[in-house]
Amino acid sequence: MTLDWSSVWDNRDRLLAGAGMTVVLTAATMALALPGGLLLAFLRLSPYRAVRGAATSFVEFFRATPLILQIYWVFYVMPAAFDVRLSEFATALLGLSLNVSAFNSETFRAGILSIRAGQWNAGLALGMTKLQVMREIVLPQAVMRVLPALASTWVSLFKDTSLVSIIAVADLSYVALKIRSETYRILEVLTAMAVLYCVMGYPQAKLADWVHRKLKVAE
Amino acid sequence: MTAGLTASARIGAATAPMLAFDSVVKRYGATEALSGITFQVNRGEVVCLIGPSGSGKSTLLRCANALETIEGGRVVFDGIDLQDKQSDVRKLRQRMGMVFQNFELFPHLTVLRNVAIGPLTVLGMARGAAETRAAELLRKVGLVEKAGQHPAALSGGQQQRVAIARALAMQPDVMLFDEPTSALDPETVGEVLSVMKALADEGMTMVVVTHEMDFAKRVADWIVVFDRGRVIEQGPPRQIFEQPTVPRTREFLSHLGWHGEALTGTGPLVDRPVREQERSPS
Repeated sequence: MTLDWSSVWDNRDRLLAGAGMTVVLTAATMALALPGGLLLAFLRLSPYRAVRGAATSFVEFFRATPLILQIYWVFYVMPAAFDVRLSEFATALLGLSLNVSAFNSETFRAGILSIRAGQWNAGLALGMTKLQVMREIVLPQAVMRVLPALASTWVSLFKDTSLVSIIAVADLSYVALKIRSETYRILEVLTAMAVLYCVMGYPQAKLADWVHRKLKVAE
Repeated sequence: MTAGLTASARIGAATAPMLAFDSVVKRYGATEALSGITFQVNRGEVVCLIGPSGSGKSTLLRCANALETIEGGRVVFDGIDLQDKQSDVRKLRQRMGMVFQNFELFPHLTVLRNVAIGPLTVLGMARGAAETRAAELLRKVGLVEKAGQHPAALSGGQQQRVAIARALAMQPDVMLFDEPTSALDPETVGEVLSVMKALADEGMTMVVVTHEMDFAKRVADWIVVFDRGRVIEQGPPRQIFEQPTVPRTREFLSHLGWHGEALTGTGPLVDRPVREQERSPS
């Protein structure tokens, strides 16, 4: 079997552009899913039952269904049902953000609930409003506690972005699979794809491990 | 009731009480934690709440600044009924400093910021002014050199002194202490009691839930004895410690190794012997 790496080398610009898209999509999704997750966490801790119930249903739906279905749903059902038409990139971003927001909300909620009642009482006893206690005392501690979990979610998200290739967003997976079908050089192209994901993903995973270790000591 | 006999001799009796509890009832589901608590705290007085664990002392203290709601009776702070819908509970809490058994310092903030955070967020004070006030209070409790550290780097006694400074930063009219030395190593109890004694000497109105009978005996102006959610006896320390009229009070004190000793101790609080912790009621 002869290897022909020219299929990879000749398409290097497209592959790098695809890798860039993967990074942009990951960063943009997290940029939306952090505030989104926080908002959902607050809604789930609301004193109003209806608000809590709605937020819980939303979160459980996204946790219980596959991401690939969610992306298809946003891509096909939203335009048909609500007459909302978005670009492929916006569709992918929306689908991923909703999904990761749901997961982040569980992380934030667990963090907030892990702060003991005494901290609330100490803030309230000073005369703070509940909002001030949340902002100044509970949330900063909760976020510190859940940073390792958020870092893990980031690493998963980086890889899960490959699913958006099904709706023709030109991320690394989409570009690589397209080159494969053009050149029929399966082994070379998939190897290049693996190397690119690995080169980008490894430092992120290491960084996540470091955050884990670092914050474990601080607790 | 002995309160009526001696009330005229109490500090601040000439003016309206700072804090008054009138038939306060607190329930958790079917269990009644407080069954009609009535006593008052006058201006400038140190009132110690003593009694067995689980007798309702700490619960009562949390009712004083509405961290707990009550099911009956009234809590009146400086003439304002906390249960009144018109009362701004938050405004009232700002005038009541609270010190917790487990310190409850904010671990993500430096010692200085822990003390400054009340004035900063609640009073809207400028950062410079709030931190100046915080530094002054840290000097007062002897910890100004720890200002830049985080609470985790401090001993229990030091943390509790910071917690006292944090409460004082709001310049409260009354300080509520909830077993402030119960979570401390014996060797750091004295430093916290000294700070509290100094505060009492300055004329601060204080309500102290405590098992430190030496402190209660020598610093308190008035003792309230709790048992099973009721006040079973109250009076000046001399009466409570030397001639308790209720058998349960005698029983509780002798449980702590107290046998009607006279109020003659004069040594510094810091050097007092470590008294055996209260045994769990069986």
